[in-house]
Amino acid sequence: MRAPRSALAVGVLVVVALTLAGCASERAPYPYHWNLFFDSIFRPDSQILNGLFLTVVISIIAQAIGVVIGIFAALGKMSKVLPIRWLANVYIWFFRGTPLIVQLVFFFYGLSVARIYTWPDLTLGPITIEGAVQAGIFALGLNEGAYMAEIVRAGILAVDPGQMEAARALGMTPGKAMRRIVLPQAARVIIPPLGNEFNNMLKTTSLLFVLSVVELYSVFNIKQGNSFTPFEYYLAAAVWYLLLTTIWGVVQSWIERRLAKGTPGASAAGPSLATRILGFRGPSGGGH
Amino acid sequence: MTSQPDDINLLEAIGGAPPSTATNVVEVTDIHKWFGKNEVLKGVSMTVRQAEVVVVCGPSGSGKTTFIRCVNHLEKIQQGRIKVNGHLIGYREENGKLISDKERNIARQRQEIGMVFQRFNLFPHKTALGNIIEAPVQVRGMAVDEAMEMGRKLLTRVGLAHKEDAYPAQLSGGQQQRVAIARALAMRPAVLLFDEPTSALDPEMIGEVLEVMKELAREGMTMIVVSHEMGFAREVADRMVMMDDGLIIEEGTPEHFFTNPQQERTKSFLSKIL
Repeated sequence: MRAPRSALAVGVLVVVALTLAGCASERAPYPYHWNLFFDSIFRPDSQILNGLFLTVVISIIAQAIGVVIGIFAALGKMSKVLPIRWLANVYIWFFRGTPLIVQLVFFFYGLSVARIYTWPDLTLGPITIEGAVQAGIFALGLNEGAYMAEIVRAGILAVDPGQMEAARALGMTPGKAMRRIVLPQAARVIIPPLGNEFNNMLKTTSLLFVLSVVELYSVFNIKQGNSFTPFEYYLAAAVWYLLLTTIWGVVQSWIERRLAKGTPGASAAGPSLATRILGFRGPSGGGH
Repeated sequence: MTSQPDDINLLEAIGGAPPSTATNVVEVTDIHKWFGKNEVLKGVSMTVRQAEVVVVCGPSGSGKTTFIRCVNHLEKIQQGRIKVNGHLIGYREENGKLISDKERNIARQRQEIGMVFQRFNLFPHKTALGNIIEAPVQVRGMAVDEAMEMGRKLLTRVGLAHKEDAYPAQLSGGQQQRVAIARALAMRPAVLLFDEPTSALDPEMIGEVLEVMKELAREGMTMIVVSHEMGFAREVADRMVMMDDGLIIEEGTPEHFFTNPQQERTKSFLSKIL
């Protein structure tokens, strides 16, 4: 109960502050173009819809790549073979230790100007994927993989070692035991932080504007530049991102509830939907 | 547990006693095992003939669990030889030297060695039947239908026909251990290893697990059992083995072992647990 009330309080404070700021100004009050804001939300034009589409698609593909790379990097980090362990560690070290924006511009502009890879457009049947979009997905996926590696590793380590032993005692090779027995159990531990990673990914794709990819943020950035109405358009952009992450929050809760089935005592695990969306913790909230 | 004489034949459920190519199913010769600088097995040898039941006992820290885990190479030995069904386990021999075998070969060798763990180690994301058919289908390449038919027979014969769709978390400890025995049997192993199979059970569940093990012993399954269940040992063991401080210090038939132990260490151990 406390969480929604604090949210309301914060909302009221923001409105009051905006009003006061408007009154305190010596110049004439700013003529808010609320129609631009509301049209962007309720009657989005094709640019906004395209940006939305790009943001969602790029997020999903980059996250999927991140998960796959993360699994391999986690296994690499736990490998018995020293060079593989070394390689995995260097990969994680580099991508967690440098800013994503630097990785983005380096992989796109850096590689193409040096003619190492010029990111030509890719045509798959009826759709053409721009080089900048490819570079963006590539960098986001590699970056995400480094973070997923730690999450996957924690998930694997959370599985009782007896499970691996039982699988191998039955004649499974280490790879098969990992795929069939350990990873499915690790998934339960991995899914909640993976959900948070995807929430981040939806927002992080906005950095692709530096590659001139017209995802959601770029669209609004262009619009506000044309009419010099940053208040209305950036607010609309925020609302769209909020909408995306909120929908994802609902989907994530649903997935976690489904995964918790059959696990005794797991029904109460995890933060409530309201808690997750609003980011508050109630007085009784433990969670993780 | 009520016995159902016509319907409990476990080995019939897996198509008869597993084939054995050697009269000595298990041959362990002078194995040594170190954990770091600590030598936990100091030269252990043991031969188990087909259909023989060997019960290994000894105080904690004597190396009995390590010993049984070495037999299927869950622990690596540093010296000595282990053969199951005539195949060297974990190593191959080249010019008299032991070389670590490939994981793929070790996995193949383990198919002949069933293992039942103290803490069951059932797969929690699979049903009772799913646990049993997993290895036959995934490792042996058995058809799913065939594996399920065999799995149902096995479940019936360990008294859990009504639990095939239950997940491990929905089963009692005794029920879980009976599923675990069925799971190990489903691979038709030449030998079954039991690592203190009743130590993690509530007292009232020990009997139901021991009943299944006794039935297996009667049917001629080759078994090595690490256990302190001396009543069970007296009833079904062909041979008793006493381990202490990484060595086998005494072995013999149950009559000899329980009534006339030769070693002081065995006498004092038995007086504590009997």
